[in-house]
Amino acid sequence: MADIKTKNHLLLHVVLISFTVLATYPVLWVLALAFSGQQSVGLIDLPKDPGFIERFRSILPMPAHLSVSNFTEVWTDQDFGRWMWNSAVVSLMTTMLGVFLACTAAYAFSRFRFPGRNTGMLMFLVSQMFPGTLMLIPLFIIIVKWLELGNTYVGLVIVYATTAIPFCVWMLKGYFDTIPYDIEESALIDGASRLTIFWRIILPLAKPAIAITALFSFMTAWNEFILASIFMESELNYTAPVGLRFFVGGFSSQWGYFAAGSVIVSLPVVGLFLHLQKYLISGLTAGSVK
Amino acid sequence: MNVAEHLKRSAVLGLGVSILLTLVLSTWMFRAEEGELRLQQRQRLAVMHANALALSVADTDVGETGRRVSDIQKLNPQIESVIIVGGMQLVASTRAEDAAPRRLEREEKALFDLSNQIRSARETNQGEEVVRKKIIQVDEKVAGHVVVTVPYIAHGEFAGILQMKFNTTGEDVFGLTPDSYTLPLLLLVAALIAGTLLRMSADKRIDLVKLFVIGIFLAIAMLYQNQRMERYEQMVVQANQAVAEKYLATAEQYDRLGYLALAIDNSSANLWDTDHYQRPLGLIAADGSIPAETQAAHFEKRTRFFNRILWAINLLGVAVLLMFIYGFAARTYAALKEHAYAYAYVTPAMIGMLVLVFFPFIYGITLAFTDTTLFNEFLPFQDRWIGWDNFKAILGDFNLYQNTPDGIIWNYQNFYWTLLVTVVWTITNVTIGVTVGFLLAMALNTEGLRGKAIYRVILILPWAIPNYITALVWRGMFHPQFGVINQMLQMFGMEPVAWFDGVASSFLTGLATNGWLSFPFMMVVILGALQSIPRDMYEAAEVEGANPWQRLRYITLPLLKPTLIPAIVLSVVWTFNMFNIIFLVSGGQPAGANEILITKAYKIAFENYQYAYAAAYSTVIFIILLVYGFFQTRITKATESY
Repeated sequence: MADIKTKNHLLLHVVLISFTVLATYPVLWVLALAFSGQQSVGLIDLPKDPGFIERFRSILPMPAHLSVSNFTEVWTDQDFGRWMWNSAVVSLMTTMLGVFLACTAAYAFSRFRFPGRNTGMLMFLVSQMFPGTLMLIPLFIIIVKWLELGNTYVGLVIVYATTAIPFCVWMLKGYFDTIPYDIEESALIDGASRLTIFWRIILPLAKPAIAITALFSFMTAWNEFILASIFMESELNYTAPVGLRFFVGGFSSQWGYFAAGSVIVSLPVVGLFLHLQKYLISGLTAGSVK
Repeated sequence: MNVAEHLKRSAVLGLGVSILLTLVLSTWMFRAEEGELRLQQRQRLAVMHANALALSVADTDVGETGRRVSDIQKLNPQIESVIIVGGMQLVASTRAEDAAPRRLEREEKALFDLSNQIRSARETNQGEEVVRKKIIQVDEKVAGHVVVTVPYIAHGEFAGILQMKFNTTGEDVFGLTPDSYTLPLLLLVAALIAGTLLRMSADKRIDLVKLFVIGIFLAIAMLYQNQRMERYEQMVVQANQAVAEKYLATAEQYDRLGYLALAIDNSSANLWDTDHYQRPLGLIAADGSIPAETQAAHFEKRTRFFNRILWAINLLGVAVLLMFIYGFAARTYAALKEHAYAYAYVTPAMIGMLVLVFFPFIYGITLAFTDTTLFNEFLPFQDRWIGWDNFKAILGDFNLYQNTPDGIIWNYQNFYWTLLVTVVWTITNVTIGVTVGFLLAMALNTEGLRGKAIYRVILILPWAIPNYITALVWRGMFHPQFGVINQMLQMFGMEPVAWFDGVASSFLTGLATNGWLSFPFMMVVILGALQSIPRDMYEAAEVEGANPWQRLRYITLPLLKPTLIPAIVLSVVWTFNMFNIIFLVSGGQPAGANEILITKAYKIAFENYQYAYAAAYSTVIFIILLVYGFFQTRITKATESY
């Protein structure tokens, strides 16, 4: 019996390890490229007529020479620092605006019964079905042509914040619903105003949910690529995603800069994601498994 | 106060509000329309002068050209300056400091570029035999001045550009009576007084009094609108007359100087008075007369859409009035007052959603019914309205393939091809995601397996990385020359593959990338569900003698269903709209064969600049998703009862 079990597990380990290799290979490849100190997409220069060993060496995610020059140069010679700054500013502003809008609306939806409440919630849900490109052209016309907010932070921020609202509102409302109403009632009797209750009682109690909402808003802005590439025309105003594509899109192929930039951009997001994955997963499955 | 009194007050108030609303909205529309007319008038005169001068110097040598340009400029005080650029040469200029003819200077490169731009626009129009690009440039950056650039044709060939700075300040050609609101306002007061004498009955849904109130509203609204419309028609006629007079005076000037002969009959087209595509407008004949029926038809066409807007405004007014008459407005007001606090909290988010989500959505759908492109978006809306044509062009084009001696050639630009690719793309991706996710989840759920936590974290990694980075990385790995995947193939003695040149291989690149980044989601969801299945169920089944297959079939799968189906539904929508992977990995290569609907719509909008066509395309995508959503809810409901 024990024999069979180990044998089974061996097979499982083989399967799992091969998938692990598959899952990590592109990541290791980017890391190798980032630390290679060169710009070409191949990790080593192949001889004229390469044999099996040379080929094998070229696919191993190991740079020929270890160097951090890609990291230093992308920061000093390229506009990457500026793009990171743009991304950071846009993402932080989006987070603040998004969380403010979502908290107020979610509180009303959770605590008050008013005419139009159900319609409003339904509208938020329906809006999630609108296809991106249908919104893209009108948004381009409204933001860039009418409001002339192309190449500005504000243009991107207001669009990102509003697109993140529905998800955040639904999520926060679910959390506010779990906060017992008795707390508010007793505060009301003690003479606290609605605003005080919201500010002093509800928001502190909802901290974990607000954190998730903030993270979601931040990630929306940090990882967004299409709108940013349309709104930000001048190179100095690129956000990090648009800038990274600039390195390897079209006719340029600065793969080293791209790899180094990708590592810098991904690190905070991947770190946060792996750290918070448990909450994310419980949030995803909570709705479906009842 | 009894009910009838209450209703009467509501009706009178409603009458006031709806009439004011209608008057304000109509006035606003008329103002906008009149402003548009004034703008067109200014530009039309400038274009006419520029066209005339360009025609008169078409067959002259350089000296004569310079003389004619300066003569005409001196005779017409409105023309401030004229320059003619031919290739690298400044052929003629009326500015004293220029000393034409001479070579263009470095600072004047913009003129050279503009000339090339107009040349290529002209060639595009001639090559495609459709009028698509403007060949007359009009620029009104400085108030009171219009700068017009027209092509300079010498001896039948495109030679450069003629640029004219035209002063538009001067007397107003529109001798108009000022706006008059006295009549409608008097009528409004009369109607309000009459309203107070009414007796409303609360019990009937429709009665004569209510109809009478609506009648009063419509009468006042239409009276005002007709008055404004007559004034507007008068303006259009005056505008045309003013241009005709200017035309005749200028044409006589040219005739007298012997530069261009004045046409004596009205049979030939007037080549001076053109639109921005240099097509004759046809409103003024070559001899300066105005054909009455053309003018009437022009006015009719101009106001067709505008009339619809006015009707929409009136309908809105009636709707507001009805809301008051039937007490909705009063109830809404009461609700607003009672729940003021709640509304205050919701308003910021709601305004954001309305302005940046719902308005763009409606605007996008409206845009789908026009032929807006980058090149005609300045045109008034009614000129761009084409109804269902975009949808007919998208859905009615069944030119999917061609039979040629070499076999079937697919038309990759066809909507149904792209739809097919999208459906195949979605199905294959979701299948891969679910299969791989399920296998890995089952493996990770094995009891007593070592290193579970490590496997889990590593396998989740592809999900954590921003997907645009993943896409660009895989694009690098699929590089046909230096990419690691081709190196790997060659390592085993295989030929390298030009991944992005073949339809199937290019599709595979997207599939591999998306498969890589989407299996962790499925794995995590399934693993979560698997862990929630109680162990004792399996133990009981084992005691009963069920084999592993039966346990999977009768315990695991049924219990997975409630988790799996929403996850699949979600991932179908995600994959269907997976813009980044297609756009960044293969870019739809080769020749757009691997485009999915959403990337296709993007390219139509931002590479071909056919905004309206792209909007119609996106509307079709929306409808497909809507239908899918509808059926999906039905199917999910059906499985829930299972």
